[in-house]
Amino acid sequence: MRSARWSTWIAIAAVLAGPFAWACNRGDDAGGGTTVALVLKTLNNPFFIELAAGAQEAADSLGIELLVQAPDREIDVEKQMQIIENLLQTDIDALALTPSGSREVVPAIAEANRAEVPVLIVDTRADAEALAAAGATVATFIGSDNVEGGRIAGRFVAEALGGEGNVAVIEGIPGHETGDSRLRGFREAISEYPGISIVASQTANWERDQAFNVTQNMLQSHSDLRAIFAANDVMALGAVEAVASAGRTGDLVVVGFDAQDEAVAAIREGAMSASIAQHPREMGRIAVESAWKILQGDSVPAEQPVSIELVTE
Amino acid sequence: MEGIRKEFPGVLALDDVGLEVESGEVHVILGENGAGKSTLMKILSGAHGKDAGRIFLDGREVEIDGPRRARELGVGIIYQELSLAPTLSGAENVFLGREPRRLPGLVDRAAMEEAARAILDGLGAAFDVRRPVRDLSLAERQLVEIARALSLDARILVMDEPTSALTDREAQALFDTMRRMTSRGVAIIYISHRLQEIYDVGDRVTVLRDGRRVATLDVAGSDRRELVRLMANREVDELVTRRPSALGAELLRVEGLRRAAELRDVSFTLHEGEVVGFAGLLGSGRTAVARALFGLDPVDAGRIQVRGRPTSIGSPRDAIRSGMGLVTEDRKRQGLVLSLSVRENISLPVLQSLSRFGVVDARSERELASRYATDLRIRTPSIEQVTLNLSGGNQQKVVLAKWLACHVDILILDEPTRGIDVGAKQEIYALMERLTAEGVGIVLISSELPEIVGLCDRVLVMRGGAVVGTFERGVSQEEILSSAVGVAS
Amino acid sequence: MRREFGTLAGLLVLCMALWIATPHFLTTANLLNVVEQSTLIGIIAVGMTFVILTAGIDLSVGSIVALSGVAMGTAFRAGLPIFAAALTGLAVGLACGLANGALITLGRLPPFIATLGMMSIARGGALMLSDGRPISGYSDGFRALATGDLLGIPLPVVIMLAIYGIAHFVLSRTTLGRYTYAIGGNEEAAELSGIRVRAYKSAVYGIAGLLSAVTSILLVARLDSAQPIAGIMYELDAIAAVVIGGTSLLGGSGSVIGTLIGALIMGVLRNGLNLLGVSSYLQQVAIGGVIIVAVLMDMALRRRARLPTE
Repeated sequence: MRSARWSTWIAIAAVLAGPFAWACNRGDDAGGGTTVALVLKTLNNPFFIELAAGAQEAADSLGIELLVQAPDREIDVEKQMQIIENLLQTDIDALALTPSGSREVVPAIAEANRAEVPVLIVDTRADAEALAAAGATVATFIGSDNVEGGRIAGRFVAEALGGEGNVAVIEGIPGHETGDSRLRGFREAISEYPGISIVASQTANWERDQAFNVTQNMLQSHSDLRAIFAANDVMALGAVEAVASAGRTGDLVVVGFDAQDEAVAAIREGAMSASIAQHPREMGRIAVESAWKILQGDSVPAEQPVSIELVTE
Repeated sequence: MEGIRKEFPGVLALDDVGLEVESGEVHVILGENGAGKSTLMKILSGAHGKDAGRIFLDGREVEIDGPRRARELGVGIIYQELSLAPTLSGAENVFLGREPRRLPGLVDRAAMEEAARAILDGLGAAFDVRRPVRDLSLAERQLVEIARALSLDARILVMDEPTSALTDREAQALFDTMRRMTSRGVAIIYISHRLQEIYDVGDRVTVLRDGRRVATLDVAGSDRRELVRLMANREVDELVTRRPSALGAELLRVEGLRRAAELRDVSFTLHEGEVVGFAGLLGSGRTAVARALFGLDPVDAGRIQVRGRPTSIGSPRDAIRSGMGLVTEDRKRQGLVLSLSVRENISLPVLQSLSRFGVVDARSERELASRYATDLRIRTPSIEQVTLNLSGGNQQKVVLAKWLACHVDILILDEPTRGIDVGAKQEIYALMERLTAEGVGIVLISSELPEIVGLCDRVLVMRGGAVVGTFERGVSQEEILSSAVGVAS
Repeated sequence: MRREFGTLAGLLVLCMALWIATPHFLTTANLLNVVEQSTLIGIIAVGMTFVILTAGIDLSVGSIVALSGVAMGTAFRAGLPIFAAALTGLAVGLACGLANGALITLGRLPPFIATLGMMSIARGGALMLSDGRPISGYSDGFRALATGDLLGIPLPVVIMLAIYGIAHFVLSRTTLGRYTYAIGGNEEAAELSGIRVRAYKSAVYGIAGLLSAVTSILLVARLDSAQPIAGIMYELDAIAAVVIGGTSLLGGSGSVIGTLIGALIMGVLRNGLNLLGVSSYLQQVAIGGVIIVAVLMDMALRRRARLPTE
């Protein structure tokens, strides 16, 4: 039995050794002494991975260290706050953040303020009202105009249908600022075309497999459906698959948001119609560069819009 | 086997033990619980490693480093604790891991069932081999276990108390099978608490005590009292007797108890100071009476009066409230919470009365537990010892202590001495005598005819769910047996 | 007690390793952070310990966190004073737990299935009740539950420690506690000893539901928002804390002290991996590894405890 105990300790050591070795390796190539933390919603969505890559490029060229962290699940705001609190214990100089919950994350921002770590908000806004109530401040917001993106998508759908037909919407998780803004823009644009009506609007919680199921159900109940707008590409791709399995590829207009690689490929193949390109790499780059400027004592604009465009091929 | 030594944390289980077994003999290992019998056999079958010593097979030294190796060497074992897969059928259990194949991966079910049937027929068992093991009785399960070992064509077969759950008839069939095997040159190592069986099947006997070998004798030349003395190192009266007590008021009156095919019109009474015995073959309905009385199984009809008052018993809780206690035949599965201590097991049914506002009064609980642990001479380092670590006899005493602490006046004992050593058996008999003298009434269910004959004031013999015979004290074992199997004596 | 020492040793080794690896770990502020971050899972894990001691499992605790939080938010928004709204949340949590208990004892469903169903029902209920949106805007007084402190110790930590104290007392000194162990150790023997197994089992699931609701109140106070999507995967973290703490999934043995240490191990591990800047992907691997190692250790100790039983 003694051997059982030893093997346990060895196993514990092995489990711990991995992360430590990783951390030590990182330590070696850390340069100038400035550390910027980038806390994302998740790292299992290509959008945020792109964002992190852009940030990393900027960090490398400026010679500053970048720490990227994210909860396992996109919606886990409580864990995101824990990550922020933990990082504030280390010597980070600036915090770039894509909030998992616009309101909920505000106490963590306030804590960063107290630690005198400047906070840069990326992609998803923090709730202005809650910020004011908590007396918290952010240095800048870097992100796309999601409402405008939604409008562009709406106009594209309306024109593709020739101003007439039934449309379905696949929503993200209700209450998320980005998704809500895109949908608001989309509905706004559609409302200008009296011949087009939104006959179904359901959430697929940002997930591809759920979008597949939701779309299948919509195709069942609305056989006259002519277009689908999904609040992000992950869900749009799920919709594309459902459309294909119903044998209706090319028959329906499917529009997503984000223009991630897989979606662009689907557009080229004709399985999907369009997507709204955001530039997550650009967001990441601007975030790190702005952090650097702030730390140098330079000022940055409070709003830094990142361009968006319609991708149809 | 030579110079075998095995130490467990805090216990020296075997100290320099040797054992020689000839082919074609039945070698009995005798010893009280904790003497080291099972440990020795587990080393032989590869379930435990040894700390020192050597094992020879046909004169060559062998290293048995696991059950698989033991099986390859032709050592088969039937464990005391049944080790069957409950959801598989009897036949599947017999051939588990060695199913006859028609094509690779395709089990030849018919061949397997036929082969299992053949082995079980040889044991005199008549149940359906296709039934899942969990639906079989304890005895039937044990037969499956024996059949499994027999099917392995073992050269050395270890049997650890194989008859403890069998009826006499089933045991006799097993002995016949054993004789057939030894005539083919198989060596059988046989562990049992029943002295009579040694004379039925044994050729030689080795007595273990406290992890040491005390003696190896030829069975033919040995004397019963001598063996008991060697085992216990003290004179134990092997005779099963109880001084009768004066009978008092009626405690229990059962009238017309019916439950499907299990119970047909069972009626009896129990008085203060009386022991009423239930005899019969396995499945004759004895345990069904206990279960019905204790509120475990609903009945279709029947009336129960406790101390003359009609009482309805729908749950064990009701039964306990009306002053009953039940010691089940399977103490590990039903009697004890093995992960709890002696103290916690003893106080379990009376915990409410030891508590105020749900908070247990630790001191009175400790006092209660130590009082009964001392009273029943439960051998344990402390009352805080987990019952898992106690021997069978001591576990049974904990179950009894639990009911004594409740001050029950009707005690139902279902096979109370199964699998426990001679010393502890005698203590339980003495306890029954003391309790009846204090006015407790006891319902005793037992497959041990000497217990039925020696301890009971009145004996009810059951067959097919009905009471087929009632006998008074002084009845002979033969009369009871004849009645149980339905042969006029 | 020996088993808790083993778990405690694991926690100390982990802390020591982190102390060597990063200067940021062993600071008062960070340690307070760790404990505070362990409170939510820590409190749920108390209820889970009770359930697992009876050889059961409760997969619905995370969803009950969401439902009772949303129920509280809805009640508050409907104009109830915050105190009454919180009581509403607690009542909903308790009711969900008791419903689990009834399904298991009266409906004779396996705990896994009953609570799996409740997991989905409570989550759906939370989404329906809130229309999928977070309910926010509570008073500062209420939020002090999460942000305030008592003699420098954050209030959630004080509340968690109080709950652990009570739970330890219940398990070690009361009939309810003893019966919990007895039912988990051998349900049949417990029934035969006259214990009302059904009632006590239901009570245990009720406790788990109630403590989920307590957690949800702290979570709402912390986020200033009752979210219908809160608490996802909490059940697994709680089960992990219980198991790391040495409570056997087979029931009958374990303690809340072990669970507290288990919850702290999970908290320290997450915190340490954040401090070290370890990649999020690798963090999940490390946490999974620790859970497996802890169970391996538990099994080794179990085998050790099995003395010869001849």
